[in-house]
Parts: sequence; structure tokens; C-alpha cells
Amino acid sequence: MTFDRAALDALPIAPGSTGAIRERAFAQFEALPLPSQETEEWRYTDLSEFDLDFAAHVPGHGEGAPEPRVQGLAASLLQHNSSVVMTTSGQDLEATGVIFCDLDLAAEKYPDLVGKHLHALVPTDRTLFTALHGAFRTGGTFLYVPPDVAVEMPLQTLTYLDADGAAVFPHTLLIADRGAEVTFIDRYVSPDLGRGLSDAIAEIVVGDGAHVQYASIQEWGTGVTHLAVQRARLGRDADFRSLAVGFGASLARAEAETVLAEPGGFSEMLGVFFADETQHFDHRSVQDHAAANCTSDLLYKGALRDHSRAVYSGWVHVRPGAQKTNAMQTSRNMVLSESAKADAIPNLEIEANDVRCGHAASVGPVEEETLFYLQSRGIPRDEAERLVVTGFFQEVLDRVALEEVRTGAELAIQEELAKAI
Amino acid sequence: MVISQEEHLKELDKGYRFDWKDPSHAVFEPKRGLSPAVVEEISSLKSEPDWMRKRRLKALEHFEARPMPWWGADLSEIDFENIFYFIRSTEKQAGNWDDLPEDIRGTWDKLGIPEAEKKYLGGVSAQYESEVVYHKIKKELDDIGVLFTDMDSALRDYPDLVKEHFGTLIPSNDNKFAALNTAVWSGGSFIYVPPGVQVDIPLQAYFRINAENMGQFERTLIIADEGSYVHYVEGCSAPIYSSDSLHSAVVEIKAMKGARVRYTTIQNWSTNVYNLVTKRAAAYEDAVMEWVDGNIGSKVTMKYPSIYLLGEGARGEVLSVAYAGKGMHTDAGGKAIHAAPHTTSVITSKSVSKDGGRTGYRGLVRVEPDAHHARSTVRCDALILDDESRSDTYPYIEVEDETAALGHEATVSKVGEDQLFYLMSRGLSEVEATAMIVNGFIEPITRELPMEYAVELNRLVELQMEGSVG
Repeated sequence: MTFDRAALDALPIAPGSTGAIRERAFAQFEALPLPSQETEEWRYTDLSEFDLDFAAHVPGHGEGAPEPRVQGLAASLLQHNSSVVMTTSGQDLEATGVIFCDLDLAAEKYPDLVGKHLHALVPTDRTLFTALHGAFRTGGTFLYVPPDVAVEMPLQTLTYLDADGAAVFPHTLLIADRGAEVTFIDRYVSPDLGRGLSDAIAEIVVGDGAHVQYASIQEWGTGVTHLAVQRARLGRDADFRSLAVGFGASLARAEAETVLAEPGGFSEMLGVFFADETQHFDHRSVQDHAAANCTSDLLYKGALRDHSRAVYSGWVHVRPGAQKTNAMQTSRNMVLSESAKADAIPNLEIEANDVRCGHAASVGPVEEETLFYLQSRGIPRDEAERLVVTGFFQEVLDRVALEEVRTGAELAIQEELAKAI
Repeated sequence: MVISQEEHLKELDKGYRFDWKDPSHAVFEPKRGLSPAVVEEISSLKSEPDWMRKRRLKALEHFEARPMPWWGADLSEIDFENIFYFIRSTEKQAGNWDDLPEDIRGTWDKLGIPEAEKKYLGGVSAQYESEVVYHKIKKELDDIGVLFTDMDSALRDYPDLVKEHFGTLIPSNDNKFAALNTAVWSGGSFIYVPPGVQVDIPLQAYFRINAENMGQFERTLIIADEGSYVHYVEGCSAPIYSSDSLHSAVVEIKAMKGARVRYTTIQNWSTNVYNLVTKRAAAYEDAVMEWVDGNIGSKVTMKYPSIYLLGEGARGEVLSVAYAGKGMHTDAGGKAIHAAPHTTSVITSKSVSKDGGRTGYRGLVRVEPDAHHARSTVRCDALILDDESRSDTYPYIEVEDETAALGHEATVSKVGEDQLFYLMSRGLSEVEATAMIVNGFIEPITRELPMEYAVELNRLVELQMEGSVG
């Protein structure tokens, strides 16, 4: 099976405005080329030979999905392969006007909200893969928080893929209205598969004065290709804090973009990733300062082992008139094995003068002295390496405000390191 | 040398002080445009060996086949058909300033070259349009076997040495503009320093464009043999015209085992010159290569001096200062390719943009597999003096060896108001205070220049700051 007209026609009916998106995106998908390494955007990831032969739609039932790591979720949603199979709510969210449900269901029940925001931040014609997503997505998450409503505990969507050779299209559309507060976690899990495609999009609208924390925990199994675009738009005095944790997939390309569209916005983008075996990670970030008096700070830390390869490239754009911008961008890479490879390209494009902008990037080996010291204290080499990597990541995790999110990420890291080292 | 405040203020009133035009001294009527016939003609006028003629013609094919660079500055307005690719200004190279035509001699006097030669230079090469019109090396250097000559003479006098090294670091098809240079090159310097010889006074070349729509394509090759040292300094300028000129040089340098080469550029082209230059050095075992690259002028500059660290323990340094004022785009930077163990590189870039100018740092630090224990530090700082101007930083770090330690840092800021306030409270005008802050900002570069050049650079900064604020 593959992504052709027959597969498109076999999908469940697209509700509301999504039908038109589906048709338009399919036409774009057929017209767009596979990304080429000759473009700057795809310079470090070669998909020119990528085989798009995946099962376009595999219904799920929910069995086999892992338990949540985080306790006390306000609500959770489970997507199994192509279907949202369960939404549970621990608190009475509905009474506060919060909407948390399957994106297709939302398209039917709240056509205006969905119609206005779906693919507004990440247009389907951005790349071949966003077009593919627009055409073949079913399921996904819709989260709307009304003005001045604060949801204390985090909400989570778990996307679970276990069908070999299948494609999944996780989509999160998160709208925090003016003054709202919410924390949301996107978690992606699968067993090791022969092949799999995760073509993911997160669109996050942070209204004026709203506070949003967004975490993505990517734990796909071997065999999965993960191509993700996350884009957030910040209103006036909005506060957006994101954390990206990446361990899984054979090839993972994650783009995270924040647009500071109105004055007074604050954006923090944190990332930790651990690559081993032959994993290929391509992390890209954009801090787009389109308005004055905004602050953004980015810190990505990665550790690499075996034959893995990681690329970090980031952009800070300061648009004309975005005076009093304060933007910082830091990428740190720790290389644990001889044949691992790390690249870092932190870019600045500054078109205003009254700004403070900086970036820093480093690539370096693990400190042999530290490992030697730990080993001299009777700690085995593997354990010493795990301790050093944990310590390296801790700087990032210490900045995650909400304990549930931090603990969840710490547990994920410990599980991954126990497996890998 | 200390400059009084009055002198400062006088300088500020002058504007671009290299803007004078000599009448044409072209030996024959120059033609515009590029074709195999033009390339053949250049080669034949120089009575070149056949291999060079063929090399040129092949390079022309490469130039025509390659697309314009899609990245970097806007080059779409270059009209290759409107450029003069070769202008001969004197029948014969002079070894004595008095042998030059009066206007041309006057140009060099105004640039202060004969005076500098007397005071502190080991040799001088003066290129006017396409060819070196004056050349001289101190007798002491000549006696110990230092070769310093123009590239055309070198091809004639040391054909084997030239053939062995020409185009080995920058092949004809390296990039579009290296191909163009290879096709139509003329002039430039050739230097060979014998093993163990320390040339402790700088050798200088100065490149002057006089004609409108001139294309200047000098070609420089420097070989510092084992354990030797040489410091080469180049300057350049041109009159201001309303239509564009093109300067596209190729510079190749080999620092053999234990040698040290320092290459200093003070580029001050007028703002109608496209300056698209390829500079590359190879540093062998324990060699040291230093690029000191000052880019103050030109309409567009794209230039990223690079160092290939090919021998164990080799070191490389790039010091880059870039300025962009009204209508200017200065895209500068540096590259260090670590291809041997225990190599180190340091890249320091300082840029200032003003009046709508755009500066960019574009760089690459790459560590090849097995180039273990490489160390590199990159530091880029940019000052943006007004809200019309722009600064970009595009650093590439590529590491294929786990023992490498690389760091990159950059900042972009404006002139500190507290610093300005303090200096003005001490009686300086805003222009003077800004100039002083900018001079402090680029000081890590100026302190590496020969003093006369440091003074010149500081003056230029003050000149450029005129009317910048307030």
C-alpha cells in the first residue's frame, strides 16, 4: 500500500474543513519533490532515496500501549496507530470550558476554532512531508484552554505505533486563549519495527498573557523515521516553555520554531537528546523575533555514542523594528565514541540594533579524567558513563519548572541510558 | 604614532580619501567582455607557456558552466560583459619609482607606498589595473635567496616552481570566481622563502584600480619552506565610479614544516567594487598560518580565508574585521579544516554595520576523521550602530572525531549607552566617543597589525563614524 488516490479515498471521511485540507494537501504532495540535500534546510539529512511505501492507514484498538510515566495527569489521550482510541479525564475539565479530544472530533464539533487554526502555523505546502501529513492524517489531539483558565496538572497524548510498515501522523493543535495556563506532553512510543514513518506536526497558539509548557518525548523504536515540525506563535506578554527529549527512531528530524509575534513575549526552548548505534538526528530551531521587547533562550544538549550522528542547526532572526530583543542560543554536544559525529550550526540574522543576541556551540569529548575518577571509586565504566551523561543533561532538566514533566523526562533518560550503555 | 584630536577631526571631513582618478595610460585600447579570444589574448600578450594557456581556457569553461552562488550576497547586478578583463598601463615594469608615468607615480605617492618602502618594508609590489608596474625587493633579502616577484615574472623566471604549485590548493573549478580568476589572472605576487630564512620585515603588495568597470584578477602564490617566516601585507583601493568594478583574486599559501606565514589584508575598495576573493592556505607539520583580514570597503565582499591544517601540530589563526556602511554588504569569515592530529585553530571576527550596511560572518570549522585532539575556538562579535543595519552569523561546525574540542561564541549588540554617556561626560562628542568605542571593539585585530596599518585602520573607523549617531 502507498500514498496514492486509492489510499486517500479509503480513509475515514474527513470532517468539517479538514476535507478541503485533505484534497489540497494531496495535490501538493503529488507536486512537491523529496527534500534535497542541495538545499540548506536538508543539507545534513539525505532523504533522496527515501521509500514512501507505507501503509497509509492502520486502525488501532489501544492494546499494548505503555502506562503513563507521569502520575496525576489532568487528562490523557491515546492514539494507537491511525486512531484515537481513548480520552480520559481525571478532573472535571469540561466545566471550565477546556476542550481536549480527538482532532477529527473537534473539527466536527468546533469547526470555527479548528478551521481557523489547523495548518495556519504549519501550512501543508511547507514540504512534501507536511503535505503528506495534511492529506493522510487521521486522529491527532485538539486542546483548547479558554481565557484565564489555569489547568494545574499536565495533559498528555501518547501516540503508540506498533504496526510494522505503517505511517502515523501525530498532530497536536494546542490553543491557549488569553491569560490561560496549561502544560501539555506529547509522547511517542513504539517497539522496534522493520519500518515506520512518524510524520508529526504540533501547532501551538499562545494567546496574549497565556502560559504554555510543552514537552515532547520521542521514544520511537528502531526502524522508525520521525519527521516533526513544531511551531508556536506567541501573543503579547505570552510565556512559552518547551522541552524536547529525543532518544528514539533510526532517523529523527525535529524542527522547533517559536515566533515572537507581539511585544513582551518570552520563549524558552530546551532540548536533550541521546543518540547511539547508527541513529541520525537532525535538530533545527528557529527563534523568530518579529516584535520588540521579547526574550528567547534556547539550550540544547546532546550526547552521542557508537556510530550515531547528530546535527544541530539553529536560527535567531531579529526582524526590523524588533528592538530590545534579548535572544540566546546554546548548543552543547558530548561525543562518547570514536565514530560518532556531531555538527553544530548556530546562526544569527539580526536586523535591529538595540538588541542583545548571542549564541554558543561546542562539541567535545567526555572528560576522561571524570570517568577515571569515578572508576577509581569502584564505579564500573558503564555506570560512570551513565552518571556523566545524566549530569550533562541535568543542567537542562533543572530548568523544567513542573515536577511531573521533569520527573517524567528524568525517568525516560534513565531507561534509555540503562538500555544503551 | 599618536594622532592629535585636530588631525582626527580633519580626517573626518575628508570622506573616502582614495577617490582620485588618473587619466588612462592603457598601452592599447582595452576591450570589454569575456570570451576565449580575450583569454587567448591575455595569454599571448604575456608569452605564456602552453600549459598555462590551456589551463586558462579550461577554467573559462568551468566559469561559464558554474551557476552564480545562490548563497551569500546579491551578485545579480554584476555585468560580466561590461567589465575590462585586462588593461596594461605601462610597457615595462619599473624598478625605480621615477621611471613611472607621472600620474601613476603620483598615485603611489598619495598612497604613501614609496615612503613606507623606505621606512619599513622588505619589498614592494605595486599593481595598477592588471599588472605590477613597480617591483622591488631589498638586496639583503635577494641575497639570501628570498624570491619576491610578480606572478607574471615568476611564471617566466621560475616556471617549474610555479607549475608545481599553481592551482594545487585552489583548483580551477573550486568555485565560479576561482575559475574566472584562473581564466584571466594577471599580476599578483609570488614569494618563495628558503628553509630557515626569517624575513623579519614585511613584504607588501598594493593593488590599485583606476579605470571604471575594471576587472582586477591578481593571483598570488606564497611558499614558505621549512622553518621559515614571512609576513605579507596587501592593501587596495580604487576611485569611486557610478558603475561597478570587479576584483576577484586567488591566493594560495603553503606553510611547510615548522614555517610561519602571516598574511595581512587591509581592503578598502571604493563602494562600487565587487570583491570576490578565494584565499586558502595549507599548514604542514608544526607550521603556523595567520590570516589578518581587514575588510573596510567595497560594495560587496565575499571572502572566507581558509586554512587546511595538514600536518600534526599545525596551527591556524584568522582575525577578521568587517565594516559595512551604506549600500555595502560585507560577507567575511574564515575556515579551518583540521586534517591532522593535535592541530589548533582560532577564529576571531569583529564586525560593525551602520547606515543600512550588512555584515556577515560565515565560517566553517571541520574536524576530519582521525584528526584526533583537534582544538578550535571561534569568537564572533558584531556591533550594529543603527536600526537600518544588519548583522548575520553563519558558523558551521562539523566534527568527525570524538577527541575534538570545539567552541563557538558570538554576540551582537549596540554601542553601550553607559559607555557613550561616560565618554561624553568627559567632553568627547558623540561621534568621537562612538569611534573610540568601535576602535576598542576591534582592538584585538588592530593590535596584530603593523603599527602604520593599525593607525590607518583606526583612522578609517573614525572616518566611517562620521554622522553615524545623534
